[in-house]
Amino acid sequence: MVPKPNGVRLVAAFDPEIEPIRLETPLIAFENLEVRYTAMAAPALKGLTLSLERGIVGLLGPNGAGKSTLLKALLGLLPPSGGSGTVLGVPLGTAGSARLRARIGYMPEYDALIEDASAYEQVAFWGELSGLAPEAARDRAHEVLYFVGLDESRYRPVSGYSTGMRQRVKLAQALVHSPDLIFLDEPTNGLDPDGRRRMLDLVLRVHAELDTGVILASHLLGDVERVADQLVILDQGQIKAAGSMAGLRRALAKRVELRFLDPLDGAQEAALAGLGTVLEARNGLYDLELGEADPAGIFRWAEAQGATLVQVTPRHDRLDEVLLRALHGDAVAAREEC
Amino acid sequence: MPIYAPTLPPPPDLHQGQPPALVLMRFDLARLLRQKIGRFFGFAFLLMLLWKVGRIYVDHLLQTNQTFRPVQDFARSVLTQGADFQADLLNPAGYLLWFLVALVGGGLVARDTLYRVRPLMYAHPVVPRDYLLAKLGFASALPFAILLPFALLPWLMSLMLAGTGGPVWVTTPLRLLPAMALSSVLMGALAVGASSLAGTPRAGIGWVLGLVLGTGTLASMVHGLTGNASVQACNPIVLAEAWPQLFMGVERPLVPWLPAILGTAFHLGLWTYVAARRTRPSETVI
Repeated sequence: MVPKPNGVRLVAAFDPEIEPIRLETPLIAFENLEVRYTAMAAPALKGLTLSLERGIVGLLGPNGAGKSTLLKALLGLLPPSGGSGTVLGVPLGTAGSARLRARIGYMPEYDALIEDASAYEQVAFWGELSGLAPEAARDRAHEVLYFVGLDESRYRPVSGYSTGMRQRVKLAQALVHSPDLIFLDEPTNGLDPDGRRRMLDLVLRVHAELDTGVILASHLLGDVERVADQLVILDQGQIKAAGSMAGLRRALAKRVELRFLDPLDGAQEAALAGLGTVLEARNGLYDLELGEADPAGIFRWAEAQGATLVQVTPRHDRLDEVLLRALHGDAVAAREEC
Repeated sequence: MPIYAPTLPPPPDLHQGQPPALVLMRFDLARLLRQKIGRFFGFAFLLMLLWKVGRIYVDHLLQTNQTFRPVQDFARSVLTQGADFQADLLNPAGYLLWFLVALVGGGLVARDTLYRVRPLMYAHPVVPRDYLLAKLGFASALPFAILLPFALLPWLMSLMLAGTGGPVWVTTPLRLLPAMALSSVLMGALAVGASSLAGTPRAGIGWVLGLVLGTGTLASMVHGLTGNASVQACNPIVLAEAWPQLFMGVERPLVPWLPAILGTAFHLGLWTYVAARRTRPSETVI
């Protein structure tokens, strides 16, 4: 745990020393947050302690991990049953939650569209509901629909829209009131590769051009890897890992695959373990996690041990491997205690 | 290939908008106007209104034109301007109005449930009170708006023909408007409560009609068996008809004052409670 001046503790950074997370203006900060659906029910979220800076945050986790419950809690729809938290500096579960929602945009996973209304009508409606005057909401609906690429079709009922267009209407309604923070729940659901790329480009534009914080919940790890600069992995209502993507990548880059001319004997293998953690060993191939060790030390070790090193390959794990390891509670999850 | 804007212009000022409940009601009205049922009901209600106004004019002719002297006695017995006549101004719309309330009100909450729009509403600065107020307000304003010309136009026409010194009660609207308001709120609360029980608009319509006709039939059966008119206070159709009678001072109203008050309070409380429970944010699935 890293104690912070504002009382928020940061856990689970992959490498906080290399990539410290700034906490001056946290997008979200929780301390021991617990959420229950009813007083008698088991907690759906338990002991969440987390602080995230403004950026694009990827929220990963299997079904039932608590992602939706976390979004509900962030939106103020479920008051915390324990602990405390703030979103954009506003404490959760207070009278300010309704006002806070005027600063948040939410794009749900499912089709929350009014089928008999046009994209223009409903985006203007959501704008008004967020506090825009009727005329301003109508003007803004035109602008935001143009921004998401629906300028031509905005007067057609959404019942005739393709999946990609429907996703963009949902994004437009989340952006219509220019929120400080948007929650995107599976924004690329049902999209073909091209549509997926366009949607992720829009997400990047939203953050880069509008300076809007983004929380992106997705099970498509490639999406998260492409756009997110911070990552939170949830499972069974608990944070399994969290930190910056850059820190994660650096941590992952410290894995190497070593191939020796001859298999190592027992003494050499024991000595190799002194360099780092041997994750896998088979047929003269060793998958070694170096941790904080210097990669150049491998060559010195090989020379000292008389082992003939024929190949050193840096291993870049895919994010799904990281996710699986975090969920199954091994090395990456253990770094929560950093 | 979509064409994207180079960027999004600066945001407009928030906090200039209308109250969320009013925005929701306006959107429900826009939804209703998009539906084609408005044309049929508009025509039907207009026809009824013309019939009412026409009756008054014919009555006037019968009273003033000597040519119609032979039918005057008959007209006097049929077209009176007393309490019964005034209370009856709202009556012809009764069943048709219940049907319209079922068609429109039955889908008010159920449509949001079907399209899963409610969680998205609660993700905006909307609290459950706003949502409930909007739905109850719209469901009640609809029958009220339809009844309003039935109360006012025949009264205005009567005043124009008979003058203030004639048999027409100048204070009729003061008696009819509260009665209309009570009947409309009763209809609206029942429709919203029933709609909140349904997952689709069609099921919502079924719930409203089922509840109205079911309680009505049951109350009528018990009334027939026991002879006790007070049990009709459970019957929403009778209650909606009884309020104009009570306010106009009809000699033998369908339900007396106390049972009418208790029955209306029961329906309002029950269906508002049901709707509030069924539309809580914790019930939303996101």
